[in-house]
Amino acid sequence: MIISQLNQLRNQFNPTRLKSTLKYTSKWSFLILSWIPVLMVFNEHVIYIGKIEGSSMRPTFNPSSTSFQDWVLLWKFGIKDHHNGLKHNDIVLFKSPENPNKILCKRIKALQGDIVVTRHPYPRETCVIPRNHLWVEGDNIHSIDSNNFGPISKGLVVGKATKIIWPWNRIGDIPNGGREVRLNKIKQI
Amino acid sequence: MENIKFFGKVFGYVLRGGCFIHIFQTHFYEFTETRGESMLPTLNSTYDFVYSSKYYRNGRGLEKGDCIVSLKPTDPDQRVCKRITGMPGDLILIDPSLQKAFNDDTELEEDDNFNKYIRVPKGHCWVTGDNLAHSLDSRSYNSLPLGLIKGKIIAANDFNKPFYENGIFYGFRKIKNNYIDEPE
Repeated sequence: MIISQLNQLRNQFNPTRLKSTLKYTSKWSFLILSWIPVLMVFNEHVIYIGKIEGSSMRPTFNPSSTSFQDWVLLWKFGIKDHHNGLKHNDIVLFKSPENPNKILCKRIKALQGDIVVTRHPYPRETCVIPRNHLWVEGDNIHSIDSNNFGPISKGLVVGKATKIIWPWNRIGDIPNGGREVRLNKIKQI
Repeated sequence: MENIKFFGKVFGYVLRGGCFIHIFQTHFYEFTETRGESMLPTLNSTYDFVYSSKYYRNGRGLEKGDCIVSLKPTDPDQRVCKRITGMPGDLILIDPSLQKAFNDDTELEEDDNFNKYIRVPKGHCWVTGDNLAHSLDSRSYNSLPLGLIKGKIIAANDFNKPFYENGIFYGFRKIKNNYIDEPE
């Protein structure tokens, strides 16, 4: 009885068997761990998903407070390009200038060099957008945007929202919204 | 077939290694060259390599007097190295050196640049180079959002110096917070 148990024990802690198990686990754990940085870089620079919270982009995102919150596809590759990176009417996610740990989602309303007709909390009536800065506004009139904190630097932009991926009944492209802010376009109308 | 397999394996290793280095450099620690005259007494204009800790990215735990690396607000492709001289809520005299040439004391009082102040807004900081005469900083592009800060400089190597001199390798020195709070 005891001898058979001892034999079993010896079988369990057989050095060659232990070695092969260790080799197997270390090999697989290395394989899985080593791909994590690749995934992180991919999510940081190419594509990611984001959840939209709050009502500042209503009716484009989160059209009613009772339904699900929206999830969007974030495109990050090539948005720093000067010519075909960020365009007017794109929706961007960016670090809030007032709190760097908070990500805001707004619509680009004017690019560098444009003259903007501002809204209430902004101290002046018009504003010229500086170099490599953006004027962002929410589609809802009740939103904390460039009218509060002024034009934002392009370096704060995290990604561009390209598609709605959840809830399922609104999957697809993002509709246009918001007002026209650029002075020369308003004059044309 | 063997060749394709071999190249695939090599490509996989290079990709994983490169991505690991990139994540390490953006989230933990970086060792890079700095150029430019804007930090001159502290950092040389050429051949100076700095150690930057990425724990302090997004302005976490930074204080007045710290050296930082950040993106330039007017050109996010470039990185700049500056010293923080104002934190949110501080009242700052913008730049008295932007004056017209004046001859006597009466004109000094009339000069507007001695009377231009700005309060640093929430979530921003005021940065200036150590070499004020040759530095493009907050005085021209206004306060810097903390979200653009990429890290804090903690030490530097000078590769102009010899490999070993007086017990110091390549002119290694720590870069300290040089802010002194003067009594009122």
